[in-house]
Amino acid sequence: MTPPAIVIIGGGPAGMSAAVAAATQGLSCTIIDEGFALGGQIYRKPTNPERAPAPHPRGEQLRAEVAKLAQQIQVRNGDNVWGIFDKLRVAVTSPDQHTELLQPQALILAPGAHELVPPFPGWTLPGVMTPGAAQILIKTMGVAPGKRVLLAGTGPFLLAVACQLVDAGVHVVAVLEASSRPAWLSLPLHGFRTPEILAEGLAYLSKLDRAHVPVRYGRIVVAAQGETELNAVEHAPVDAEWFPDNNRIETEQVDTLLVGYGFVPRVQLAQMAGCNLELRPDVGGWIPVRDRNLATSIAGIFAAGDGAGVAGSLVAALEGQLAGMAAARFLGAIDEATFAAARDSIEQELARLKPLRRALDKISALQPGLMSLVRDDTIVCRCEEVTWREAREAVCAGSTTYRSLKMTSRAGMGACQGRFCWPFLSRLVAAEAKCSLADIGPPSARPPLGPITLGALAPEPRDK
Amino acid sequence: MTNTADVVVIGGGAIGASVAFALARRGASVTLLDASTPGRATSASAGGLWSLGESLGLGCGVILHTAQQGAGDGPAPLPRTLMDFLWASNLRFPSLAAELRTLCGIDIEAEAATGLLYLVYDEEQERHASRIIEWAGSDHGAVEKWTPQHIRDRDPLITHDLRSAIHFPGDNQVNPMLLTEALKRGACAKGARYLAEARVRALRCSNGRIVAVESDKGTIACGAVVNAAGAWGAQIARLAGIEIPIQPVRGQIICTEALRPGTLRSNLSTRDCYILQKAHGEVIIGSTTEYCDFNTEVRYEDMCSLAAGAIRAVPALRNVTLKRAWAGLRPGTPDELPILGAAAELENFFHGTGGFRTGIVAAPLTGEVVAASVLGQTPEFPIEPFLASRFQRIYV
Ligand SMILES: Cc1cc2nc3c(=O)[nH]c(=O)nc-3n(C[C@H](O)[C@H](O)[C@H](O)COP(=O)(O)OP(=O)(O)OC[C@H]3O[C@@H](n4cnc5c(N)ncnc54)[C@H](O)[C@@H]3O)c2cc1C
Ligand SMILES: Cc1cc2nc3c(=O)[nH]c(=O)nc-3n(C[C@H](O)[C@H](O)[C@H](O)COP(=O)(O)OP(=O)(O)OC[C@H]3O[C@@H](n4cnc5c(N)ncnc54)[C@H](O)[C@@H]3O)c2cc1C
Repeated sequence: MTPPAIVIIGGGPAGMSAAVAAATQGLSCTIIDEGFALGGQIYRKPTNPERAPAPHPRGEQLRAEVAKLAQQIQVRNGDNVWGIFDKLRVAVTSPDQHTELLQPQALILAPGAHELVPPFPGWTLPGVMTPGAAQILIKTMGVAPGKRVLLAGTGPFLLAVACQLVDAGVHVVAVLEASSRPAWLSLPLHGFRTPEILAEGLAYLSKLDRAHVPVRYGRIVVAAQGETELNAVEHAPVDAEWFPDNNRIETEQVDTLLVGYGFVPRVQLAQMAGCNLELRPDVGGWIPVRDRNLATSIAGIFAAGDGAGVAGSLVAALEGQLAGMAAARFLGAIDEATFAAARDSIEQELARLKPLRRALDKISALQPGLMSLVRDDTIVCRCEEVTWREAREAVCAGSTTYRSLKMTSRAGMGACQGRFCWPFLSRLVAAEAKCSLADIGPPSARPPLGPITLGALAPEPRDK
Repeated sequence: MTNTADVVVIGGGAIGASVAFALARRGASVTLLDASTPGRATSASAGGLWSLGESLGLGCGVILHTAQQGAGDGPAPLPRTLMDFLWASNLRFPSLAAELRTLCGIDIEAEAATGLLYLVYDEEQERHASRIIEWAGSDHGAVEKWTPQHIRDRDPLITHDLRSAIHFPGDNQVNPMLLTEALKRGACAKGARYLAEARVRALRCSNGRIVAVESDKGTIACGAVVNAAGAWGAQIARLAGIEIPIQPVRGQIICTEALRPGTLRSNLSTRDCYILQKAHGEVIIGSTTEYCDFNTEVRYEDMCSLAAGAIRAVPALRNVTLKRAWAGLRPGTPDELPILGAAAELENFFHGTGGFRTGIVAAPLTGEVVAASVLGQTPEFPIEPFLASRFQRIYV
């Protein structure tokens, strides 16, 4: 089989739009997504359509557009991209551990983001999970995560998930939003060019209101309680920097706590490919450096969507389009004038979305108070079960980089390679060592990114 | 913070940490400077203490030989002086481990009685194996040939499809990162100062001496300087106007998820790879030997050949999950011997580099002999064969 011109990693709004844009120009594309169907996080397809809520129309439309271009677009679902080697070589392994090395002429990275969860006392108890994980239960299987649920964190995603829980008949006890109410009330000032998004937010709020779910602003969860599983949550009001007032703690009896403080771009593939990164806490942390055409520092590699800076599904789809066109331009399938015209109209739409997005980023920016919840015996690296005491001692002994902390405390040594702990651990380390996040650096990314067996690398000889 | 030291040690890998510890133990005031550079060898290494195996061309040597010349005859042994040096260094681990545990509470996981097994798959290897036993001689412990039955009794997961194995009872393993961390902390406990992220930028010379070291963490006036910068040793020497033939030699290595400790009792060397299970349970499979400048990338093809080699030796590894692959840069020299002791060109500049494939096992004794030469004492092991002057390529 001839290799595709373009490999696209990620089948969310960014990846699907990229494929459609490039395939429309006659280029062959392969979309690889480890999920069982196209859609990504927001347009996830139900496995149990009878019980799960109806899929989002925008997602259905994108899936249909991809299907229409089946001649050009090959879709590989369930396959995991675990490494990018020199010269755009992409290592893919299927669930049966069959491994292939694809070598396209251009690569579009659209891997999305993962959720950000801070460590706090009790956060590893069963019953504490992310809003995204709860959403997957509802969206794909129509299963409720618990009976009495509290949501806490920041950002509109909490409201969206709260509404989905309400629709699924779950008792949502409250939504705790860390930022203040006045901050949120200022949002319409920035969103007058995007009234449809503001309306979506208001619809969430009124649905929660009708369901008698209180949204309490300026509060964070400070601890989760329970012996073997969660049974109560302590929360407290916070100041502007999210430092809790521990004299005003309230306790809520719940069986499920969903905590989400935003998203972190999945940059590991870009890192493995050798793309330069920059630190941009406003869009989730380390992201690949990109030019106006979404090209990374490595020729032929483009990056789009939340994986290149968290900005939501609408921006992801637009960026995907732009990356698809830019890849087509890179491969000579379209001329500069055609490309420039397409880029101009995409950029206009991106500019329209920008003010609201910026305002949201600002409201939901992590504040130092969140880091004050960690106690000595709080686990800060789940894979290796490293406590803050152990990590802090290593920091005090001079381990202030990811590498060195990993070596001396084993924090970040586990299978996730620091992807989940490092966004917060790096902040704790920076505060302790009085250095900047940029000094500390991102965790290094090493193949394999996902789980593969040794056998996946060494096919069994046929004649033996 | 005083910015003077009797001795500044540049490089905080196993060698630099060991030199700093040995100096501090002798009462010198020491400052150890390190920088995190991608590819530093110590954190990449497997931690095999294969003083005999590596000296006789096993471990990394035989893998390189097979890659270059195909199967068949094995590599020649390294010079006898190196074997004696590594043997003496290896013997220091048990007492060093005890000392470091008391001093700074770190267990360096210096495992006794794992032993190294060289697996013999075919007839040609068998001929090579007989020579290895001859080369080993009798003054370095009881090197023995094991039958397949004996191998199976000890390590049932090893392939049954082999002819024999050579067993090196004294070749065990350590955790190289904990070793280095403990040496560093031990040095600090004895009064040394450690500065992380203190990349050395310049050496100030005056009248044939180095008078100060300029680093990202300030300038330190000093009485002597030790170059323990590993694969970057030539760069440090060049700051003093000296050329030494250190070359980075890349080693790629892969590691599995943690398996039940004790799943593999022996360290294994084969002509495709070496395999050892660490105390935490991860199985480490190494490694390539390549000259490609300071490139620290991992190659897909090499991951595959290491995996295939490991599965051949231990078939049950086929279904084990791979956790990570990485690469490190060994400080290589043309004659495979380290570069230790005084630099002829400057009165107070000393080398402690060139550890190549055996820098971990060599670390304890390297620390001792370099510290002794810095302080004008007689090293307990003669280091003439390791002096930089053997290359006689000086461009001051
Ligand atoms: C758990 C979760 C739930 C979310 N729910 C919502 C929501 O309800 N509403 C909303 O507005 N926003 C939601 N978001 C935000 C949402 O991610 C973005 O707005 C939008 O989906 C971004 O689109 P994308 O195409 O950039 O990435 P995604 O939609 O995240 O798509 C990326 C895809 O890449 C795949 N992938 C990544 N790495 C690999 C790999 N190595 N190999 C193979 N496949 C890979 C992933 O499986 C995923 O399907 C959610 C985010 C997360 C993390
Ligand atoms: C894959 C692999 C497996 C190995 N397995 C084994 C094994 O099983 N057994 C064994 O005995 N040996 C093994 N080795 C070899 C061993 O790791 C090395 O010989 C040994 O670690 C060298 O130690 P070092 O301290 O000289 O160098 P390094 O550990 O590289 O330390 C040098 C230090 O100097 C620092 N530095 C560089 N430039 C500067 C500067 N300008 N200023 C300040 N600091 C600087 C570097 O950042 C680094 O921290 C292996 C090596 C590799 C790559």
